[in-house]
Amino acid sequence: MQSRATRMLAFRSERVLECDCCASEAERPMNLRAVVMAAALMAVAGAAPVGAAPVVTPHVEAELVAERNGWIAGSTNWVALRLEPEEGWHTYWRNPGDSGLPTTLAWTLPEGWKAGEISWPYPSRHKLGDLVNYGYDSEMLHLVPVDVPAGAEGEVTIKALAKWLVCSDICIPGQADVSLTLPVSEIATADPVWAQRFADTRARLPQAEPLAGAFTISDNEMRLQVDAVELAGSTSVEFYPFADDLVNHGAPQRVALSGSVARFAQERSAAFGEAPATVDGVLVVQGSSEKYAYTVSAAPGEVATVAAPVPPAALPAPAADAAVPDLWLALGFALLGGLILNLMPCVFPVLSIKAISVLESRRGDRKAERRHALAYTGGAVLSCAAVALAIILLREGGEQLGWGFQLQAPLFVAVLAYVVLALGLSLSGLVQFGTRLMGVGQGLVEQGGYSGSFFTGVLAVVVASPCTAPFMGTALGFALTQPLHVAVLVFATLGLGLALPFLLLGLFPALGAWLPRPGAWMETFKQVMAFPLYLTVVWLLWVLGRQAGGDAVALVMCGLVALAFALWLWSGGGRVRQALAVLAGLGAFAFLAHPAVTTPVAPMARPATVAVGQASKEPYSDARLAELRAAGRIVFVNFTADWCITCKVNEKVALGNERVLKLMAEKNVAWLEADWTTPDPAITEALGRFGRSGVPLYLLYGHEGEPEILPQILTPDIVIEAVNWVSSQERK
Amino acid sequence: MNKLIALASVFFLVTGAAQAAVKVGEPAPAFTLPGSDGAPHALADYRGKYVVLEWTNHDCPFVKKHYGSGNMQAQQKELTGKGAAWLSIVSSAPGKQGHVDAVAAKDLTAKRNAAPTAVLLDPKGEVGKQYGAKTTPHMFLIGPDGKLLYMGGIDSIASTDADDIAKAKPYVKVALAEAMAGKPVTDASTKPYGCSVKYD
Repeated sequence: MQSRATRMLAFRSERVLECDCCASEAERPMNLRAVVMAAALMAVAGAAPVGAAPVVTPHVEAELVAERNGWIAGSTNWVALRLEPEEGWHTYWRNPGDSGLPTTLAWTLPEGWKAGEISWPYPSRHKLGDLVNYGYDSEMLHLVPVDVPAGAEGEVTIKALAKWLVCSDICIPGQADVSLTLPVSEIATADPVWAQRFADTRARLPQAEPLAGAFTISDNEMRLQVDAVELAGSTSVEFYPFADDLVNHGAPQRVALSGSVARFAQERSAAFGEAPATVDGVLVVQGSSEKYAYTVSAAPGEVATVAAPVPPAALPAPAADAAVPDLWLALGFALLGGLILNLMPCVFPVLSIKAISVLESRRGDRKAERRHALAYTGGAVLSCAAVALAIILLREGGEQLGWGFQLQAPLFVAVLAYVVLALGLSLSGLVQFGTRLMGVGQGLVEQGGYSGSFFTGVLAVVVASPCTAPFMGTALGFALTQPLHVAVLVFATLGLGLALPFLLLGLFPALGAWLPRPGAWMETFKQVMAFPLYLTVVWLLWVLGRQAGGDAVALVMCGLVALAFALWLWSGGGRVRQALAVLAGLGAFAFLAHPAVTTPVAPMARPATVAVGQASKEPYSDARLAELRAAGRIVFVNFTADWCITCKVNEKVALGNERVLKLMAEKNVAWLEADWTTPDPAITEALGRFGRSGVPLYLLYGHEGEPEILPQILTPDIVIEAVNWVSSQERK
Repeated sequence: MNKLIALASVFFLVTGAAQAAVKVGEPAPAFTLPGSDGAPHALADYRGKYVVLEWTNHDCPFVKKHYGSGNMQAQQKELTGKGAAWLSIVSSAPGKQGHVDAVAAKDLTAKRNAAPTAVLLDPKGEVGKQYGAKTTPHMFLIGPDGKLLYMGGIDSIASTDADDIAKAKPYVKVALAEAMAGKPVTDASTKPYGCSVKYD
């Protein structure tokens, strides 16, 4: 303390010297008047304006300082209580948090002078065991406006009794009589030492005009949402409430920050009484390089809760040794998932195309067969890797995406319908892409080569995206928590699994010995396989209808007709027909550009899907889930999407089963539907909490604790068993 | 992958547990602690009586405010006089501010002329954490039925200044009076103020 005080004294004399410098530097003709005035003032004051020396108290040094070297009468002058705690000690903000006391000032002022409230710079968090305090652990200016009356003159002293609590792990109340004497002056200038510190402190003051927001106070937590352009581009935000009995300051503050919207959730204070009319506080926003603070004033409203972040320790460690077993497991799951994906209904039509081409190529040489298999595998693997890249890069950009996300875009669904219809028409024989011997898949691109096989692989992945196979969800969910190269590797392995059957057939032709011999029957088979493709188009149109409405469906159907017309024209040969075909094709794609097709309808505008006999489905929200659980209900959550065929099959076969519905009614199970048909960040976030990146996901919440996670392929018995088990737990 | 799910489950359990702190209107958690008199004291021993729990740390300036002014002793006498049991609990860990052994605790009681029913030693902080005791002082009032009636501050003015005591609302005293009169407690849960409890 002694050495500090000495240093301060040295500092002080420097300041006086600096003032002398100012005077000599000001000896320029234009400043002559100022110099004369200053000289006169100095003569009156007898010295440079100096406040009383800092008061040294245990662990804190206190003094009153001013922004300018004189009082300006008839205006607001800024002074500050400077508190500098010793290292390891802190003083408190206006809301001290779980313990502690805010610093106070009691003024003794001359007649007519007025001091305002302290302008509090935003604090920092000080954690002490389970407690959290808000305060300052280094020098801080507590800015106060002082109104000096118009008639003031001479040298004026203001005094204050400052009281504070200074704490490290123990606390010591402190106080000091501080004072400041300055001459009243017309030409008071910025104090060379303190003016800059005042400016620095102002950068820490929250902007006075409050940002608007909404808050909800539930039985156990306070939730706050602020949507303001000021938040865009920030990397983190913190909320410091003004009220000390609103939240449990020591509880973790959960924050969801996305674009310009920040959402907070924190456990309610044990001392919480009545809901306030507004929730006020300070938002500290970390920009790209600096922190900014804003005042917030939130009105009552609906705010969804914020998921607890998975602590870094809970994620598989990125360290090589720890990650290896998990990574291998994820790769195994991805391979297995991809393999099983071949049996899922959505990939089937494309696989039939591939099967035909394999059969046909058996007429050719083995080398070509192998190359086709490799090209097909390459297509599948690369497009999976591309999906991974797209998901991760878009996620970096703040989008909430997962497996199958592209199907959330109506335009993508429409384009897919075009592709599938073209394939169907080609199988039906309306158009002939390429030569018959080369297989149908390659027809999408120019003739010949292995690009056809490659694009069949790509197509297989594209049409597979509405499906999730067992094992896949966990593998992809894991991948998205990993560094980019690991994620791409896991996704690529999924593609490999998908391509595996044909890859093996290509590499080991002996395996194909059991396949039927090629023959005239294949033409019939091909034509038959066109019909599943037409059904696929119907399904895609249905999805589109739910995403973008009936107008979009009509437009896309016109487009489909135009496409069919174009293909028919093209296949006829002849320049005129081909020219017309190009026109018709352009027309077909023009329909896609219509805003009705590209704009998804709002999720609330979509009617809920109602399974047979199921009456009481509600849309999912974290808040509703918490509410139902608080009411003691068993809750079933169905994460689904209309384009997710796996989901639809499960809903039909298992969830729509009469026995299941009866049991659910009996046990009073609440059913929440998390519909991911169109993008919904809240649902993506909820999926992420369970390590998933896509639908379906089935959760069954019992009375307490964590939910049961049901498998991705459901049977009625699986659901019945789970419901029975959960309700039996409840009775305990 | 199961590891991930398991960890997520653990996390949900933990966050669930964090919300299971004591609540006004619910049964106060049972405990048994050694007293400065050398005997074990269980909360259950006081069933049928009003019980005041006072978390304390004799070196804390907020505690000194209430003992130095005689306020705490006066409340102890007044409330035990009305038939309530008053248990002062010390949760400071060994080596931390306010930690006392049985002998030191007895000395303090004698020196300060304090009148608690017993001073209980909780050096591991288990009971303190069970109750979510945050500050010294932090007060709890338990009814004869074992349910919590009040939790929070000793009074309504958070300061270390003894002059404020007369102006403040003495929450515990008022809560006991209201409960004994068969009335609901007006301020059943307030924000405690003081030093942090010096847990390990």
